[in-house]
Amino acid sequence: MSQSTDATLAPGAAGAEAVDPERRRLLVATCIAGGAASGAVAWPFLASMQPSDRARALGAPVEADISALEPGQQMIVEWQGKPVWIVRRTKEMLATLTQDTAQLADPNSKRSEQPTAAQNEYRSLKPEYLVVVGICTHLGCSPTARFAPNDPSMGPNWPGGFLCPCHGSKFDLAGRVFANMPAPDNLPVPNYKYLSDTKLLIGDETKGA
Amino acid sequence: MANTSTTPPVRQHWAHQLLDWVDARFPLTPLWESQWGKYIAPKNMNFWYIFGSLSALVLALQIVTGIFLTMNYKPDALLAFASVEYIMREVPWGWLIRYMHSTGASAFFIVVYLHMFRGLLYGSYRKPRELTWIFGCLIFLSLMAEAFFGYQLPWGQMSFWGAQVIVNLFAAIPVIGPDLAIWIRGDYVIGDATLNRFFAFHVIAIPLVLIGLVVAHLMALHETGSNNPDGIEIKKQPKDPHTGLPLDGIYAHPYYSVKDVFGVAVFLLVFSIIMFFAPEMGGYFLEYNNFIPADPLKTPPHIAPVWYFTPYYSIQRATTTDLLYVLAAGVVVLVAFYWREIPRGLWRKLTLAVAAVLLVGFYFIEAKVWGVVLMGASVLFFFLMPWLDRAPVKSIRYKGPLYKTALAIFVVAFLVLGWLGTEAPTPAYTRLAQVGTLLYFGFFILMPWYSKADSHKPVPSRVTK
Amino acid sequence: MTRISRIVLAAALALAAGANARAAETGWKLERAGVDVTDRASLQSGARTFVNYCLGCHGLALMRYSALTSIGLTEEQIKDNLMFTADKVGQPIATAMSARQGKEWFGVAPPDLSVIARARGADWLYTYLRTFYRDASTPTGWNNALFPNVGMPHVLWSLQGERALRTEELMRDGKPVSDGHGGTVKVSRFETIAPGSMSAVEYDRTVRDLVAFLVWAGEPHQLARHQLGIWVLYALVILVFLTYFLYKSYWKDLH
Repeated sequence: MSQSTDATLAPGAAGAEAVDPERRRLLVATCIAGGAASGAVAWPFLASMQPSDRARALGAPVEADISALEPGQQMIVEWQGKPVWIVRRTKEMLATLTQDTAQLADPNSKRSEQPTAAQNEYRSLKPEYLVVVGICTHLGCSPTARFAPNDPSMGPNWPGGFLCPCHGSKFDLAGRVFANMPAPDNLPVPNYKYLSDTKLLIGDETKGA
Repeated sequence: MANTSTTPPVRQHWAHQLLDWVDARFPLTPLWESQWGKYIAPKNMNFWYIFGSLSALVLALQIVTGIFLTMNYKPDALLAFASVEYIMREVPWGWLIRYMHSTGASAFFIVVYLHMFRGLLYGSYRKPRELTWIFGCLIFLSLMAEAFFGYQLPWGQMSFWGAQVIVNLFAAIPVIGPDLAIWIRGDYVIGDATLNRFFAFHVIAIPLVLIGLVVAHLMALHETGSNNPDGIEIKKQPKDPHTGLPLDGIYAHPYYSVKDVFGVAVFLLVFSIIMFFAPEMGGYFLEYNNFIPADPLKTPPHIAPVWYFTPYYSIQRATTTDLLYVLAAGVVVLVAFYWREIPRGLWRKLTLAVAAVLLVGFYFIEAKVWGVVLMGASVLFFFLMPWLDRAPVKSIRYKGPLYKTALAIFVVAFLVLGWLGTEAPTPAYTRLAQVGTLLYFGFFILMPWYSKADSHKPVPSRVTK
Repeated sequence: MTRISRIVLAAALALAAGANARAAETGWKLERAGVDVTDRASLQSGARTFVNYCLGCHGLALMRYSALTSIGLTEEQIKDNLMFTADKVGQPIATAMSARQGKEWFGVAPPDLSVIARARGADWLYTYLRTFYRDASTPTGWNNALFPNVGMPHVLWSLQGERALRTEELMRDGKPVSDGHGGTVKVSRFETIAPGSMSAVEYDRTVRDLVAFLVWAGEPHQLARHQLGIWVLYALVILVFLTYFLYKSYWKDLH
């Protein structure tokens, strides 16, 4: 570890050729410290682009009163700026869900997003009420209701469901996407719970997704 | 590294190949070498030379923090105040970014004032660096505009009434003044339209100008080379036979790179102490009254500009009718005093004409207008420094007692004017500000005389420690 | 350091020492509030006083109820004890009174108090809330020694009691003391008319807690700022040393 050979250096020689081990160590230490400091400074800036307290407060769970919802009707509530549909399905509507699951892309919702308790053929906690985020899983448009069965504009054997106006994806009355449509997955079901028989809390994060 | 002359060239590292690829298409290496990497600087630049680098650092800090503040700020008279507090409270880390920006504004002026003072100490404005100096003065002017516009954005009481007072200065201009003030405001009072356009100036117009001027300032500097505390032109020195550099020259990189990095670390330490533990700086960096939302119906009992504007504000406020009599006498005395120095013919006629216009103007135009003129002149005189200083030497080290005394008086006058600008005016304070104003201008106007009449020490051929 | 730099440093320190004091409208002497924003019990007590006595007219609209969790309250405690003007903790602490009503009742709309402590300072608020007195000549029947003819009545009167302000000439050896400007030195003191539910000591503590809460609410992240600041300074001190030795290491080659 002798370092006497490089001790003298011509003034102004820019120190380019000779390597002073102590200087080397200092340089490395300073670069590491400076790099760490820069990273630490960058963090608050990047983090500042996260949702603010206001966005979080506005994105808090919303309550929905479903007492006025008639069978066969749909209501829309806004949660985190997104439309959440609540559809009160009739017996006939529910019956369509079990008929022709072969046409569906993901009939058992295996790769779709929903709370575990809603991973069933109705995709809901109570079969009667469907709660689903009305955003197409293709590119984010909001599909429109096409509840009437055998709607001539929807092609043969239409059981009733939803149609996305942007790229024509079709969904059944449980928000399940039909096969060979642009949308890959079923409409996501948010976390929700029944506060009472007529009151829903949508977006409740207290239980796992 | 030996015997490369006969063997074929070794395959280069990929990074070098990439650099060669870029250099064949864009002068990256030449730019780096001419601006810093192979820039030859005097080896005796002391700590006063850190403030240029620090100004660049603060400029970068202000731009980055400014961009992130813009993401949440609302330039709307109804929303602006609350949006600043939204940043302070609800945006993640928003308080840190806002304090960096508000502390950075004051820090900018501190480092720029010290940077300018360095110029006055060592004669950095002298030939051949006149353009570097003038670009610097333009940067300073732009910075004042930038700070003024930025100060409106929080839309507190000081923002509002500060803008009110400054815009009304333009209303003092004869004939066109009132219409000009309305045009600047875009309304009959400072309002939403004013805030919105000031926002546009603050976030895009002036920053573009500033960046352009900074580039020009640096290019001019790297053309002439840096001055140094001895004021010796190292380019005129003989070259060292071993290194090919001037005898007192060293490469800026790595020597001044590491020195500047050390300076940056010290600066950040001081900056952080203020930002984390005294961001209001006792009401100087963030004025207390600016935490009251703007109210066009109620002026706060005591308004004062932010500290970095107070010297000029004091000069404007000190310009009363009394002072005009003194100025009129001053013009007569100055013309008589410099008469023999002025070349015969056109120049003398011009001098008499200007003096006559001033004397008539002092008599017929109200003092308020002259206050604005003097405030402008107090900044514009800096532009003339390269031609006002007639000393045969650059640095204060070789100047005599007259310049040293004049500079000391100037600095004291500047600080006293600055302090007075933060205080409510009283008759005694106004008198003091008037004395300060005369001393401030005396530094510039008398410079051709005292810089020549002074005794000077011989300048050595090599730099000293 | 050179002589010039020493002079500059001394001047800068002298400038910083003369802090830009907040202006009081009268010559009434401000008393030190001595608030401690790290004392959560004090802040919580202040929050309670605020919602019970101030929130009727003044909002803290730049803040949400949920922000009170950072002074150690749970969302349940906030909902049960403090949330009088909202039904969700994510809503702003707004007053129930509209600005128009306020203007009708008090002549001026009661200001939002989110950043009042930053505008006025803790000492001003502390003094102000302790210097109300009975004055039959004002519309509210109250006046304030620090802020004469203030539109606000003494909302804490049931705690402090009712007092009158007596101003007299200062006497020494049976003669009025001159103030040196042709007048005489006046002294003011409060006289209790009817006692309140609190002793003077209890009342001062209640006001101090309230002011502490307002100081905290003026900048809710101030404690985080101090905590982070310490670590940043440690890191920068290390960086200063490293860069100093690096600088010296390079420059030792030069003569």
